[in-house]
Parts: sequence; C-alpha cells; structure tokens
Amino acid sequence: MKSKITGEFIFEDAQDAPTKSVLYEKHLELTQKSQMADFAGYIMPLWYSSIKAEHDAVRQKAGIFDCTHMSTIEVAGDNSAGFLDIITTNKISSMQVGQAKYSYILDAAGNILDDIIIYRRKEDNFMVVVNAGNEKKIRAYLKALLDNEIVIDVEQPDKKIGFTPIIRDMKDYACCADRRVDIAVQGPASLDIVLKLLQTGVGQDSITGLRPFHFIEAELSGVNCIIARTGYTGAKICFELFVSPENAEHLWDILIEAGGLPCGLGSRDSLRIEAGLPLYGHELAGKFNISPFEAGYGWAVKLDKDFFIGKAAMLDVSKNHSMKVLRLELDGQKGVRPVRGHDIVLDDNGKCIGEILSCAKIGGKQIALAYVNKNANEPDKIEIYYLARNERQVQQGRKESINIGEKCDGDITGKIISRFQKF
Amino acid sequence: MIIEGLLYTKDHEWLKIEGDQATIGITDYAQQMLGEIIFVELPAIDAKYPQHSELATAESTKAASDIYSPVAGKVTEVNDELETTPELINQDCYGNGWMCKMSITDSKETESLMDSKEYDEYLKGL
Repeated sequence: MKSKITGEFIFEDAQDAPTKSVLYEKHLELTQKSQMADFAGYIMPLWYSSIKAEHDAVRQKAGIFDCTHMSTIEVAGDNSAGFLDIITTNKISSMQVGQAKYSYILDAAGNILDDIIIYRRKEDNFMVVVNAGNEKKIRAYLKALLDNEIVIDVEQPDKKIGFTPIIRDMKDYACCADRRVDIAVQGPASLDIVLKLLQTGVGQDSITGLRPFHFIEAELSGVNCIIARTGYTGAKICFELFVSPENAEHLWDILIEAGGLPCGLGSRDSLRIEAGLPLYGHELAGKFNISPFEAGYGWAVKLDKDFFIGKAAMLDVSKNHSMKVLRLELDGQKGVRPVRGHDIVLDDNGKCIGEILSCAKIGGKQIALAYVNKNANEPDKIEIYYLARNERQVQQGRKESINIGEKCDGDITGKIISRFQKF
Repeated sequence: MIIEGLLYTKDHEWLKIEGDQATIGITDYAQQMLGEIIFVELPAIDAKYPQHSELATAESTKAASDIYSPVAGKVTEVNDELETTPELINQDCYGNGWMCKMSITDSKETESLMDSKEYDEYLKGL
C-alpha cells in the first residue's frame, strides 16, 4: 500500500545562537543591552526612546527601522519569472521592471511557508524579501525544489517545475556581488528625508512620483540604494532602502541626521497591528494555520493561474473557510488591563466568537486583530474576556480557555472596525 | 540604579525592611526590562502570601510579568495610585512606584535575599 502524499514541507530548524544584525554596534550607541532581545535569530532592539514615541514619530514625522535581519534572495536567469509564478501565489511574469508584489510561498499541501515581497529588478532578475524567522526554512525549500526532492502537486506527484533559475543569498559575501540589506524609513516626512539624501543625477520626480509597490535604483549620500515604496507600518508615505551591508551603518547614521527617529521592534509591532497588517505565525499560518483568504489577502492568491504550488488546497480553502481575521478597537484608557493573544472575543450576547491574535495599546485605545467565526453576527458592540494568565487568577475563578459558542461575561467592551487602515 | 540599604531578589523585586514591616517594589532593572508599564494588578489587603508566591502583576506594552512575594507575609497596604498611574513604576521604582507593604511572617526568610552589593554583582553576571 502506498502512503498518501500530503505535500507538506516539514523543516526542523536548528536553534543556533542569535546573530548580531549589521547595525548591532549602532544599536548599542542608542540603547541598552537590556532593551535588546532575540527575535527570529537576531539580537534586535525592542525600543530606543519608548514604543509610544517611536509609534507617534512614524505617524507624524518619520521613523527608521533596522530590517537588515530580513532575508534577501536573488532569483535570476531566463526562466526566473516562470519559476516564481510556480512557487508563489501572485502573478509574477506580468510584473514590470521596477515593480514589487506581495505574494506567498506555499507547500503542496497549501500551508503558508512565508509571505514575501518580490521586486523585479530586470526582466530576468528578482529580489525576494523573506521574513527573518523563515529564512532557513525558505532556503531549504528552494534548494529542495531545485533538486526535485519534493512533490509540487499532490495530484501529480511526478510533476516537475522544469525551471532552474540561479538562486543566491543576497546577504552572503560568498554568493553575491550585489549584496542587499533592508533599512526602512516610514512616515509622512520620509519623502523629505529621502529627497534630502538624493544625489544629483536622478530627478527628484522619480522619487516624488514613485507609486506604492514600485522602486528605483539610485544613490543616497553616495550609497547605491534600491529605493522602494514599500513598508510594514501602514504609512502612506514609506520607503524601504536596500543597500550593501557595508554601507548599512553609514546609511543609518545619515537617516538619523536627516530627521529619522530610530524605531525598535515594539513600535514595528504596534504600527503593523494598528494598520491591520498580518505577522507570520500570528495572523498567517501559526497555531490556527490561517490562510491568506482568512487573513484578508485572497487577492494575492491568483486562482486563475494555471498552476502554482498549493493551488488545489487554496481553491478549497477559498470556498470553505469558516473563520476570518477582524480588526477591533477596544477600551484602553488608563487602568485597563492590556488585552493579549488568546483572550476571548464575545458577541453582544456574551457568546464566544473567537480569540485575539495580536493587540497593541495606541493612545487611549487598544487595537487588536482577532480570529473569529466568519458566520458569527458582527454586532456593533463586542466584549473581551481576559483568560487567566497565572495560577492566582485561576484560583480566583478566571477561566483558562473558552470554546466558540460558549457564553461568559466580558471584562471590557469594543467594536469591530475596518480590516485595514492607512495613515 | 541600585539603592543601598534595600534587599533584592533574583526576580528583581526590592524589599525595604522597617521592623516587621516590608515595603515591596520592582527594581530599576526590572522596569527597564518591562518598558512602559500600563497596568498593575495589586494584591488584596489582608491577603496572606507564602514566600515566592505570585503577589502582583505588572503589564507593559511588551509583556505581562508576575511579581513574587520576596518573603511570606500579610498585605497591610497597597499603592492605589498605581491603578491609574502605573507609569510611576517607570518614573520612580524605588519611591512613588512602590507596590505594597507587608507584615513579615518570618524575618529569617530575609536572609536568603541579596543586599545592594550582591544584587549589583548578580546583575553584572546576567
């Protein structure tokens, strides 16, 4: 008897000691070691001044972020577009040079391995930006694909991709002459900052006229940069700058001089939650294996493509998912206990309709992303029940879990707001 | 910042002893680790706590952190102001940011705590 092919890609990550980002020494000039933490295998600053000050800087002026931990992968060669069309969900061949697209890498079972942004630098050259936490898994997956070691179509286990592009790690000295790491500058003043640093030779119009999800390559203060109108903060005006690692410290310094406030992982999280943007492992994949359709990103999964890895599973989930991600605005004035992941969302009858995935305190409110029953009524008013967080609270009668449909009395109130928000 | 004359735990609580009364709070290191504190859950007055039991909770934008009773005792007073101004812990953790007062059950338990020099050494080793 033959065992059923599931198409699932299983990757066991070896837990290595965390690496220092290329800006580590710069962070130590600005913050203390105690405010740095291991994130996705990198020692990164949680905040420099305060999460609130950094959050506000991005909404009102401009903040800069060390994103050099993000993985950058080059996919090049004659059939690189065709390859990316098969291994990711969005349409890649039709992209223009200078355009960027949000997409997903799935396994043949339809599990999200990562959410990515693909930048088309030439007809036959792409930069793929991968989450730091998924870097090793994606590299192993790409290698297994090129080596024809894994099933790409559960229905046709012998199917091959048929394309063999050149894949290089763009952070590695040995691999790539054109190395790139990401530093983000986000917020309304980010345009002025980039213009201030722009060298002559490139028209200012090419920056002011740059549309979202487009990029150009130009020099900023003598440093060759990929200047992209992309970001992870919900800011309408935002840039990600991809430079060689040896220029990262210089660029960091001049961005601060030009008025960018250094921002850590804390505000990166509160900004993306406020904007409704998903984080891999929380609003995508993770414990509930949340699909793009549930997360509100069905548009990035092009079911009209002939084939992509995981398409059969996506066709199914696009029609048959029972849950979805919602954005909530909750009480958050002084003295209100902060809502955390797994706390319970109740409808206006006190019935459990789902749970919190992420939450951030923003001003006098809390903004949360929650995973709720798609068919539940969406009342004007919802309530949140705090699950017990320690033994003491359990002894006081607080519950440790509540099932969907179960009733209980909420602790604070809130409402459902639009799924996304731009600033 | 470490204050002389106080006693310290490995979990970064401080204890100020006056007779059989102790004032309890969290250290500067702890408040820095937590970041902006936005919520504090204080113990009930008259409640009794064994040594090392969960006494209070401080929640920041980053994490929820349990605060353990450095010694066994009965709560005699809590700092109500923290309920509306939890940031007092960030601003003045050894002063206005104190959390509660206890009457100590067994003063021998304080021998297991660190003095300011020992705590300083302990922090250097972290």
